[in-house]
Amino acid sequence: MDQKEIYQLMAEKLGTAALGFSDEGVEACADVAPERIAEACLFLRDDERLAFNQLMCLSGIDWDGYDENGKGKSVKILGYAEDGQPETSDHVSEGDFGVVYSLYSHSKLHKFTVRVRVSRDKAAVPSVAQVWSTADWHEREAWDLLGISFEGHPNLRRILLEEHWVGHPLRKDYQMPDSWDNVPLNGQPYGNNPFPTPEVTPDPTLDQPAGDDPVEG
Amino acid sequence: MSKDSTTPPAGYDVQREQMLDFKVPEQLLKVLDADGRSDEKNFILTTVDEVFNWARLSSIWPVTFGLACCAIEMMAASATRYDIDRFGAGAFRPTPRQADLMIVSGTVTAKMARRLKLIYDQMPEPKWVIAMGSCAIGGGPYFKYGYHVVKGVDFLVPVDVYVPGCPPRPEVLLEGLMRLQDKIRGRKGKFITPKWITDYAKKIPYRK
Amino acid sequence: MAIENIKTSKGWADQDHVPGLKSELLELNMGPQHPATHGVLRLVLLTDGEVVYKVTPVMGYLHRCAEKIAEGVNYKQWVVYTDRFDYLSPMTCNHAYVTALEKVMQQEVPERAEHIRIVVSELSRMASHLIALATFGLDMGAWTPLLYCFREREVILDLLERISGGRMLYNYMVPGGVRYDVPKDNWASDVIDFITMIENKKLKDYNELLSFNKIFIGRLANVAVIDPQTAIDYGCTGPVLRGSGVKFDCRKDDPYSLYHKFDFEIPVGMGEKGTVGDCWDRYMVRVREIEQSCRIIRQALESLPDGPYQAIELKKIVKAPAGAAYSRVESAKGELGHYIIADGGQTAFRNKVRSPSFCNLQVMEKVGVGLMISDLVALIGSLDIVLGEIDR
Repeated sequence: MDQKEIYQLMAEKLGTAALGFSDEGVEACADVAPERIAEACLFLRDDERLAFNQLMCLSGIDWDGYDENGKGKSVKILGYAEDGQPETSDHVSEGDFGVVYSLYSHSKLHKFTVRVRVSRDKAAVPSVAQVWSTADWHEREAWDLLGISFEGHPNLRRILLEEHWVGHPLRKDYQMPDSWDNVPLNGQPYGNNPFPTPEVTPDPTLDQPAGDDPVEG
Repeated sequence: MSKDSTTPPAGYDVQREQMLDFKVPEQLLKVLDADGRSDEKNFILTTVDEVFNWARLSSIWPVTFGLACCAIEMMAASATRYDIDRFGAGAFRPTPRQADLMIVSGTVTAKMARRLKLIYDQMPEPKWVIAMGSCAIGGGPYFKYGYHVVKGVDFLVPVDVYVPGCPPRPEVLLEGLMRLQDKIRGRKGKFITPKWITDYAKKIPYRK
Repeated sequence: MAIENIKTSKGWADQDHVPGLKSELLELNMGPQHPATHGVLRLVLLTDGEVVYKVTPVMGYLHRCAEKIAEGVNYKQWVVYTDRFDYLSPMTCNHAYVTALEKVMQQEVPERAEHIRIVVSELSRMASHLIALATFGLDMGAWTPLLYCFREREVILDLLERISGGRMLYNYMVPGGVRYDVPKDNWASDVIDFITMIENKKLKDYNELLSFNKIFIGRLANVAVIDPQTAIDYGCTGPVLRGSGVKFDCRKDDPYSLYHKFDFEIPVGMGEKGTVGDCWDRYMVRVREIEQSCRIIRQALESLPDGPYQAIELKKIVKAPAGAAYSRVESAKGELGHYIIADGGQTAFRNKVRSPSFCNLQVMEKVGVGLMISDLVALIGSLDIVLGEIDR
């Protein structure tokens, strides 16, 4: 089915909660109001004309500092400097969060992309784990790495990092940790050899190790 | 059971007599006697340390501790073509209690660090560590943005041999193992760089 | 009967079979350092004797921050990190990423490059499946198949080393083509020789040694059945989904690259030794996929066209126009997708990786309940997970 038709079917059902549709880019996508996304997903799955029975991907996005003009001038993320210590910056993030649902139908063989955007202060989206079981872990990952909370999720805990990790690493203003739980995470300065090799003059009386003789050719 | 089946076949006794009647040929005895000291005891002069070290280096038992990509190369080193068993290190133990070598094969993360330390502490002395691959040596490609990666396993446990590469080829791991054997044998730190390596290194153009 | 009891009622542990003797559930920790968990996976089991009451996978022990790195390094540098997701079949991971990037860039790829990509991807898939067979045999207590499978895998690695320069991780594909052309020293004919050997002899060896071994079948048939509805609901893909009898393969149903040109079949689980979707079916799908990969390689090499192997000259910097796209390919483990958001610069604004093992592992929470612990090992082996891909 055509992307536009899918959107129209969804818009009929959702009414004003369907915020818009764009097919300008490489991939068409529909925007939905965040508070009704679970309802929209249930409709997309259960409607016989659509039958999106697989959630391919659920991506959380931090839209902070996204360059709207497409010039590649987005905000730079922080890392470890060359001396192995975390870089610092006084940038404070303020953009929205987004969640993108990529759907696929095994029976109808069509795809669809739904997006939602929530403000940074109240980053909460209804969970779709009841609609597709695979969303369970994807939502936990989005919570873990971005700090988007999913309302109604059965088990919203961190999945990749430890439970008492500080911060959400995929946020654009995340500052790299110096250490965590007494585990050092900073590094040696680059090129600084902590164990300098002493100058050794070859001792001709010692036997050469086997197989180290140069072979011509 | 009939009597026939238990009686030996004809001629058996003769064969047996012949077998028992085996004598060492005169010539061999002469060779032994050439020194004139054949009935004296032989002895080897050595130290207990040397014997122990020889035993240790000849049968290093690594713990099965695969972390990431390098673990596959470690498996390849123990499998068909490379056969790490030739160097006595083929007995991969699932438990650290029976092992004396830990091959840290892969990226050590913050979540794994405590487990790695625990496994190292559970190994009985004497124990050795090989840091395999650039992640275990110093963070490798995950240095710059790796918020969850420990920048070198030597922050956590003492390392004996560093095996570079991403991932190192099995040959390199075998080389590292042999360097570890050298270390156990008591040869410390003094290795001669072969001439062809220094010659080759001179040819590499360095970026200014 | 007993297993049904566990799933429905409160379980054995709560029933007092012997008056005055109270039993309770035992919490058991399996991993992260455990020879049967295929890497640093940790399973927290709640067991009732030998039977699993609840299984909770815990991962993140190999979380290498790849998605953060994607926002820091430029597009071509990140190809290096895609190798390290599924380090058993790095070429398919390369392929997934460059396919997604080319979709965002709207970049055309020369036909010769696509042919070479398909050949190396299928070789890589074969190498991955060989490891899957080897370690699956190892989990089931058979050591010999490992030696057989690694022997053939070494040949594949040699072939890939000759074309790319790397033994295990290649960094071979670049946006718009591949990094090097096919070597002149009859590489193609060597590949043909190798796949002929696999088709004619080696597959028969594996089948005699492992697949149709009575003990092996006894351990796997009717164990850990995943029905198609569950598999789709949990987002399973690849051999796990096809083992459940669903005929879905991105190479056929959502064609990318030039796979639509080639003639091959999608093997599915048919329940020959037990039920459709049991461990043996998932295993056998992999063996049959090796055969299909051979067919694809043969066709791709025989029709290898002349022409450039790169669309654009290797420039230092690749830029993608602003936009977002999700693209997926069939990796050895399943559907490997990338969701890339570009902002017009040389670095991705966001690059989410949908890894097949991540979704395949999730089904264990449901299917693992009620299995014996030794059968749980069979389930892990048949899912064929790679932790580098789950944790990223």
